[in-house]
Amino acid sequence: MLAVMASGCPSKQPDVIRIAVAGPMTGDQSKQGNDLKNGVELAVAEWNDAGGLLGKRIELMVGDDQHDPKQAVAVANKFVNSGVVGVVGHWNSSASIPASEVYHRAEIPMITPASTNPQVTDRGYVNVFRVCGRDDQQGRVAARFVVEKLQAKRVAVLHDKTTYGQGLAGEFTRALDELGGGRVEVVYATGIIQGDKDFRGVLTTMKSKNPDLFFFGGIYPEGGLLIKQAREAGLALPMVSGDGVIDPVFVQIAGGAAEGTYLTFSPDTTKLPGAQAALAKYRQRYGEPGPYSFYAYDAAQVLLEGIKRAGAVNGFAVSQAIHTMTHDGITGRLQFDAKGDLLTTQYVVWVTRGGTFEEYWKPGA
Amino acid sequence: MLLQQLVNGLTLGGVYALIALGYTMVYGILGLLNFAHGEIYMIGAYLGIIFLGLLIQWGVATHSLILALAGAFLLAALYCGAYGFTLERIAYRPLRHSHRLAPLISAIGMSIFLQNYVMLAQGSADKVFPHVLPSGGVMLGQTPVSYLQLFILVTSVALMAGLHFFVKRTKLGKAMRATAQDHRMAGLLGINTNQVISATFIIGSVLAAAAGVMIAMYYGLVNFFIGYMAGIKAFTAAVLGGIGHIGGAMLGGFLLGLMESLGAGYLSSEYKDVFAFLILIVVLIVRPTGLLGERQRERV
Repeated sequence: MLAVMASGCPSKQPDVIRIAVAGPMTGDQSKQGNDLKNGVELAVAEWNDAGGLLGKRIELMVGDDQHDPKQAVAVANKFVNSGVVGVVGHWNSSASIPASEVYHRAEIPMITPASTNPQVTDRGYVNVFRVCGRDDQQGRVAARFVVEKLQAKRVAVLHDKTTYGQGLAGEFTRALDELGGGRVEVVYATGIIQGDKDFRGVLTTMKSKNPDLFFFGGIYPEGGLLIKQAREAGLALPMVSGDGVIDPVFVQIAGGAAEGTYLTFSPDTTKLPGAQAALAKYRQRYGEPGPYSFYAYDAAQVLLEGIKRAGAVNGFAVSQAIHTMTHDGITGRLQFDAKGDLLTTQYVVWVTRGGTFEEYWKPGA
Repeated sequence: MLLQQLVNGLTLGGVYALIALGYTMVYGILGLLNFAHGEIYMIGAYLGIIFLGLLIQWGVATHSLILALAGAFLLAALYCGAYGFTLERIAYRPLRHSHRLAPLISAIGMSIFLQNYVMLAQGSADKVFPHVLPSGGVMLGQTPVSYLQLFILVTSVALMAGLHFFVKRTKLGKAMRATAQDHRMAGLLGINTNQVISATFIIGSVLAAAAGVMIAMYYGLVNFFIGYMAGIKAFTAAVLGGIGHIGGAMLGGFLLGLMESLGAGYLSSEYKDVFAFLILIVVLIVRPTGLLGERQRERV
């Protein structure tokens, strides 16, 4: 019941358009949820300052799914019952997928800024969009990096058994088999438990298989502990992981062990010329943006623009409008295909260096 | 590799054993399963991080890291001792003569309360242990053993040896054994059983605090939820060794740590937690009194 809290006064006034943001607002991934909330809040504030939407004020509801699929469904139902027009969220694929079923039945558009599992859009729901890439694209870039740049021969693959983590590890392994052409061998593959703190057993077994590097499909709390404990166990090999690990907390947890970790993510948004105005405003209000802050900001912009174009608070009409529009956002040109995926996405490889992340490698044509 | 898994398992086992001792001592004296004991361990882990952070800020760590760590341990132990004492006074003593389910429910209530209290006071995000510990270690043949693992093993064994000495040789220890044997008779012979019970809670909490600080150092990460799983694992260890039996808790802790580590390494890390509870079920079916436990006499 506490999971859903309306920011501002939850009123039933007809002169208000209500949209919502959902993600893990509490718990070990709360940093990501709050980055999402801040990005959406900033976009809503800009629209309200400019006179609102369709002559009405925009009100933002915040839902906490605690990265729990069950909680995500509860949050989605709460949104539907509160007459929300559209949703930005969720963060985790394992939350986005079950929640999208609820939004689909209510015909409410949902734009996720971060859920990269193919299943999010592959069900072909007209109301589901994402402003990030897909794990089949991401896993392929990671595999290319491992084969072309690192030229690894023996690879270990770990994942956290979630929709996102296991999915990404699967896409990575598939692409590795295809690109490696039999020269790259997966010597060890296993799952770990999300929320566990001790991975020494797995790492010891992995060490005995003598890999050149290991890939991890999962989120930063486990990613940070994995690389930290790997170094303590005397494993000097690099970790390659995905966009779930790219967060300052990863470095906080792992300390010096984080150095030289490779992560697939989209190009650096804070360096784009179009981002500077929003970046300054964000810093002033919330401090340093997280990796997903501007994806959430862009998702909110797309949603609000879609409502404006539809000219009504009808979810189906808004979804149709989003499908036909093109929005030049901070993260690039946002245009959606029939499934709700972006027409153009680009993954690059980042590296952890000096306690921060920087762009490192771009796949050649 | 086997040696490495054994070292990992023993380190973890030492921590389980320290928590299990608190369960088993309280059960031995009161016949009560103190389900809030895992939360005391979790509070210990938080306090270790908080006090070490403070000592670093005051510049003690730059002077001497060992002094700062010792200070963090001592302060966390003192605080947790106070928590244990208060817990017994508030939640268990008023229910001493009521139905035996009442204190059990009270224990579960305290566990939920303490978890949420720490979540609200400290936030729900993970707390990171300051990166001050020296890395590196010694080589045991082909197997690297980190200083931290050595430290945890040595400290937990030393604490257990200290407890053994305390219970066997000191007057208060004797009073504890007497109270465990027969509550009423001990009282008639002039032992202040309330004091003995308080002392038991304090000692158990101090051991849990030591376990908490060590696990915070070992994992480098704590949250308000770690007491739940650790509490259940330690309870399993206590049952495995024979609940109420101090040596049994130590043996059970080490065995559980070893089985978990070997299970995760050789069978499947995905089912790591399953092993612990499988053991609990098997022990309860095959040998309900545990490895070292004796047949319980009927309690009045």
